[in-house]
Amino acid sequence: MTPRLHVLLGAGGVGKTTLAAGYALALSTAGHRVGLLGIDPSRRLQDALGVELADLDTQIPGARAVRAAIVQPHQALQRWVREACTDRGALDRLEQNPFFTALGDRLATATDVLAAARIVEWVERDPALTDLVVDTAPGVSAIDFLRSPRHIEALVKSRLIRWLRAIVRTGDEQLGGLRVGARRVVGALAGIAGARMVGDLADFFVLVRAPLERMLARVERARQWLQHADTSLLLVTSPRDTGAVGAAELASALRAEGLAPRAVIVNRMWPPELAAELASIAIPSNADAFIAYARAQLEAQAAVLAAVETWAPMIVALPSRPILIEARRPALVELGLALSRALSPAIPGLRSAS
Amino acid sequence: MVETVQNPTPFLAKGAAPRILFVFGKGGVGRSTVAAAVGLLLAERGERVLIVEWAVADTIGPWFGAVPVGPTYVEIAPRLDVTNFALDEALRAYFVDHLRVELIYRRVIRARPVARLLDVAPGLAEMFFLGQLWWLTTLAEREAQLHFDRIIVDAPATGHGVSLLDLPSTVGAMGTAGLLAVETRRVADMLADPAQTGAVVVSLPEPLVVDETLELMPRVTARLGHPPVAVIINRSVAAIATDDTRPAWLDTLAASAHARAALGSMHDELRAHASIERELRSRLEVGTVISVADQPGRAPLDVVRATARTFAEAR
Repeated sequence: MTPRLHVLLGAGGVGKTTLAAGYALALSTAGHRVGLLGIDPSRRLQDALGVELADLDTQIPGARAVRAAIVQPHQALQRWVREACTDRGALDRLEQNPFFTALGDRLATATDVLAAARIVEWVERDPALTDLVVDTAPGVSAIDFLRSPRHIEALVKSRLIRWLRAIVRTGDEQLGGLRVGARRVVGALAGIAGARMVGDLADFFVLVRAPLERMLARVERARQWLQHADTSLLLVTSPRDTGAVGAAELASALRAEGLAPRAVIVNRMWPPELAAELASIAIPSNADAFIAYARAQLEAQAAVLAAVETWAPMIVALPSRPILIEARRPALVELGLALSRALSPAIPGLRSAS
Repeated sequence: MVETVQNPTPFLAKGAAPRILFVFGKGGVGRSTVAAAVGLLLAERGERVLIVEWAVADTIGPWFGAVPVGPTYVEIAPRLDVTNFALDEALRAYFVDHLRVELIYRRVIRARPVARLLDVAPGLAEMFFLGQLWWLTTLAEREAQLHFDRIIVDAPATGHGVSLLDLPSTVGAMGTAGLLAVETRRVADMLADPAQTGAVVVSLPEPLVVDETLELMPRVTARLGHPPVAVIINRSVAAIATDDTRPAWLDTLAASAHARAALGSMHDELRAHASIERELRSRLEVGTVISVADQPGRAPLDVVRATARTFAEAR
C-alpha cells in the first residue's frame, strides 16, 4: 500500500517549512505513522522539534509516530553509491573522483530531484508509513524534476558517454580506438578542459552508472506517485503576494504536467472582519500610521483571496500567529491541527485529531 | 527609515566600488525588488546600469511594463538594462562572439551528445554565469559595444546564491587545464577584488530569516575575502510599531471589544517584528544597514521606486 503524500509548495517566506512540521505532528496525533522530509529547516525549527535532523530519518522526541529527515545531497549520494556498488576498489576510486564531489554540489541545488528520489527511498525503507509530508524548495524550481530526469536519462544513454566509457575500458588515452567523429569531439573537449578532466569524467560515468540509474528509477516512481488520487499538492501563499502570483504560477506549472493542487493555503491572515469596523470608526490621530498599515494589509489579503477564489479548488485560510512563539512546539501542533482539520474531509482516509 | 552611520558618503556613490554588486538573500525576502531599486537609483544618478538575473522567467522587466526579458540586453528604464542569463546563449556568445570559433561551436558544443552533457555538467552553468560577468566588465565594450558602469546581480535563491562564489575554487580543485583553467583564474581574481565585486544581503525582520542572515554574513565574507557593503532589512515596521508597550489609544477606540483585541494582537505582532529588527541590527558588524518600510498591497513598481528613494537617502 502506498502512503498518502502531502507536498507543500510555494514561494519563499510563506511559511511552508513551519506548516509542514506542524502538519506532520498533527497527523501523528490522529494515529497516523508519519514521515517529514524537509529541505532547509532553520535552527529554530529543529529546536522546536527537539532534534538535530539528518539525512536519514530520526525520531521526533515526544511524537513517537513521527520521523523526520532533511535532504542532504552528499550523504544521500554516498549512501546510494554504497547500496549499488559492491566493489570496494571502485567505490574508493569514485569517492576520490572530482566529478563525484562536484555532482554532490550540483545536486545541492537540485533538491527537487533529490527529494523525489528520497520520498520513494523512504517508503522502501519503511513500508508501514501511512503519510509522508514533504517540504519543498521555494517556487517553481520545486517541480523541475518533473522535466529534468528526461535530460539526465538522455545523457546517461548518450553517445558521448559511450565514447568516454570506451576510453576507460581500453585505457586508450590517445583516443585511437574511436571513430574520427568521436575522436574530434572528445579531443576538442580535452582541449577546452584538459585531458585529465576528460579522463576523470569518463571514469566518473562508468562508476556512477548503477546508482544513477537507480536514482532515476526512483524519481520516475515519484512522478507516478504524484499522480495518485491520495496525493495532496498543497500550494501555500502569503496574504501579501499581489494577485497571489506565486501560487498561480505554481498551479499553472503543475497543470502543464497534468497535476492539480488539492488546496491553496493562505497563511498568516489578519482577521478579515476587522476591515468593516476600521472603515466605520473614528481613528485617533496618534494611531494613523498603524491603522493605515492595518487597512492596507487587510485590503491586500482580500485581493489575494479574491484572486485565488477564481481558480483554487479549495482554500484554507490560516490566521496570523505571534512570530516569537510560532516555531515553538505547542504552537506548531496547534497550527498543524488547524490545517489537518480543514483538509481531512478532502483527503481519502485522513483522520483528524480533535 | 534610514539609520545614519559613520559613513558620510551616499550609499553606492557614483564611481565608488564595487563595479559588480551581488544581491544575496533567500527566496521571498525581496531580492529582486532590491536589485531593481539599486539599479533604478544608480541609473537616475546617471550611471549605465545592467541588472543580471538568473531565473526561470524574468520578473523585473514586467514590473517596468516590458515583456519578460531573455538572454538579451533590454533597456527597461533610461540607462537601466536587464538581462536574464541562459546557458545556451552564454555558450554561443563565448565560442562564437568571443573566441570566434564558430566551427568548433557548431561541430562540438552543439553536437547532441555534448549538448546533453553540458546540460547536466556540474558547475558549468555557474562558471559561464560568472564568466559572462567578467566579460561584461572587460571585453564587452570592445567586442559587442556594450558599456555598463555598474552590474547588479540578482543572485539565484537556491542555497542563498552564495554557492556561486564557491565555483572558481571547486573548478580549480578539479584539476582543470586548458581554456577552462584560464577562465577560472580570471573569475576568481575578479571575485576577490573589492573594487570589482561586492555584495548586499537582503533580510526581513522575521526570526527564521534573521537567523539565516546571520549565518550568511560570515559565509559571504569568507568567499569574497571582504564583508558585504550593506544589509537591507525589507518590510520594516519599526516606524509603525514604535512603542514598547500597548498603545493607550487602543482602549479608547470606538470599536467592538473583539476588534480592539484583534488590533491589539496585530500591534503586538508588529512590535515583535520591530524588536527582531533591533536584534538583527545589534548583531550585525557591517557598517551600512538600511531599513525599507513595509508597504502592503502596493504594486511592485511602486515598491521598487519607494525602495530606491530610501536608498537615495541612505549613507
